[in-house]
Amino acid sequence: MSDHDILLSVQNLSTHFFTQQGVAKAVQDVSFDIPAGHMMALVGESGCGKSVTSLSILRLIPNPPGEIVGGKIIFKGQNLLELSEHRMRAIRGNDIAMIFQEPMTSLNPVFTIGNQIVEVIKLHQGIKGQAAWDLAIEMLKKVGIADPVRRVEEYPHQLSGGMRQRAMIAMALSCSPSLLIADEPTTALDVTIQAQILELLKKLQSENRMSILLITHDLGVVAETAQTVVVMYASKVVEKADVQSLFGSPRHPYTQGLLRSLPRLGQRRKRLDVIGGSVPNPVAFPSGCKFHPRCPIGAKDPHCQACEPPLQEVQTGHAVACWYAEGYRR
Amino acid sequence: MTEITTQNELMQPRGYWSDAIRRLRKRKMAMLCFWIVAAYAVLAGFIWVGDILVIHFKWEIPIVQWNEHVGPNYQKPLAHYEFIPEMKTESQKGWSLLGTDFMGQSTLRKALYGAKTAMMVAFCASIISILIGVPLGALAGYYRGWVDDAIVWFYTTLGTIPYILLLMAFAVVLRGAHIGPWELRGSVAVYLAIGLTSWVGLCRLIRGEIIKRKESEYVLAARAMGCSDFRILFFHLLPNVFHIILINFSLRFVSFIHAEVILSFLGLGETDKPSWGAMIDAARTELARDVWWEMAAATVAIFIISLALNIFSDALRDCLDPKLRMD
Repeated sequence: MSDHDILLSVQNLSTHFFTQQGVAKAVQDVSFDIPAGHMMALVGESGCGKSVTSLSILRLIPNPPGEIVGGKIIFKGQNLLELSEHRMRAIRGNDIAMIFQEPMTSLNPVFTIGNQIVEVIKLHQGIKGQAAWDLAIEMLKKVGIADPVRRVEEYPHQLSGGMRQRAMIAMALSCSPSLLIADEPTTALDVTIQAQILELLKKLQSENRMSILLITHDLGVVAETAQTVVVMYASKVVEKADVQSLFGSPRHPYTQGLLRSLPRLGQRRKRLDVIGGSVPNPVAFPSGCKFHPRCPIGAKDPHCQACEPPLQEVQTGHAVACWYAEGYRR
Repeated sequence: MTEITTQNELMQPRGYWSDAIRRLRKRKMAMLCFWIVAAYAVLAGFIWVGDILVIHFKWEIPIVQWNEHVGPNYQKPLAHYEFIPEMKTESQKGWSLLGTDFMGQSTLRKALYGAKTAMMVAFCASIISILIGVPLGALAGYYRGWVDDAIVWFYTTLGTIPYILLLMAFAVVLRGAHIGPWELRGSVAVYLAIGLTSWVGLCRLIRGEIIKRKESEYVLAARAMGCSDFRILFFHLLPNVFHIILINFSLRFVSFIHAEVILSFLGLGETDKPSWGAMIDAARTELARDVWWEMAAATVAIFIISLALNIFSDALRDCLDPKLRMD
């Protein structure tokens, strides 16, 4: 399968929230492609629009106040934004599945794990009765839950956090979707479980030839698992590259700042680097480049403060939205 | 191997309901009250069936035949008496546990029959009230917007009318009303009146719970799995508030029994069958003649079921509400 076999193509997606304080432009002009069988990471700090992007793909933005105001989401050749709600429901959970950050709360507390998996199977596959239960048990076994025959009968509160996330993954994968959106799947878990879950996702991805859109703020997770990375800042894509070039030669000052603020093995420092300031309010973004108030160059350059840089390719497959992308050296 | 099996048995999953029942069982008072309520329910069921057998199949079940003249009028409780039954000439000896009323009918039988009337009315009214209140509350809470506005407006309007007046108005209008070929007779009008007027509180409660829960992650997750609104609302959200409906049902039951008593007392309830309210109403004139037992029988019957239901509902809420769970 070639790299040009694009499964999902998000083109100029814009999602706005019409609030009492004003229009919050949560996602602006975001574009990226996910090839089939690929794992792509969407990175950024809290509130930069990464979750809204993922919810927009599934058209799960609460409306009102949210609305997808522009762009296209091409999945397997059809624009998801033009589908009827009925057709969209057939895609959700079946072709595109999603797992969430909080395994504690994203399972329904009054139903057993088995019931919840079987419901998805019944809904999309039309498999009923014992066959559906067998499939549910098989899925639980696949995601590495010990004693699945007993676990299907259990309620979410009887499982640990890691097991619940595994159960969520089992549920999401029960209809073998071609795209899995994982919205911070490891954030609520402790570090050893995080590693196991990521391992599991990678294993299942290669087994099922599935694409994964991994949403995270953890660059460690990205380096370990993803093939390409999209960095978002203040509702826009600021850098897009494959993992090697992003970690090897980050071009955007924001990405550089993020990487500098990571602790490194063998490095003895009293304090980690930080990016000064905080994420701008989406109702009132700064003029020009949105990162300029926090940027070491942009804070001094009037050009950065006045004009917003476009996302430009600096190398094949490496695009950056910064006026200094070409000439800037670390 | 044996150790592993024992451990597995110990770790047998305990469902929400079996867990709640186990905790309820530990409370002796609650269990006592449960059995009292169950006894009333069984009695009501027995009298309901017995009544049909007596009326349609001419069976002889003395305890159900409340309109039989068992003795002279106004006999004291625990009194032996001699009387001449209707259509007969020779006298007959009798004994009455709870005395007789002005017609010579047994107070005990009337009080027992009253239990059937009250339980039937409370049960049917609860069902009607749940069938109206729960779906309306769920729709209002889930869809918000104009659906919510309309439903809230409707129940607020209904709620501004004083309850007893509204109940009386419904009872008066419904009694003898014709719906298609059927004429609303006896207790049907009573439980329709109570059911149609009492769903507001439940509706408001369910609406609030749905508003609270529809933002939860499992609802988003369900939507991401491709569930429709209808499915999310009725198969994901409502099961989560089921315990609230159940608790509300048991709390309402008492107030519905009271509502039935009030309506009968005012002469708007069932008139051709005994009911506790009618007995208390009759006792108004009797008390002047020192006939206290009819009043006492009805009052004690109401008192016991009310107390038992209240204690039981309280315990039920403690056991079913996960937030109040104490082990």
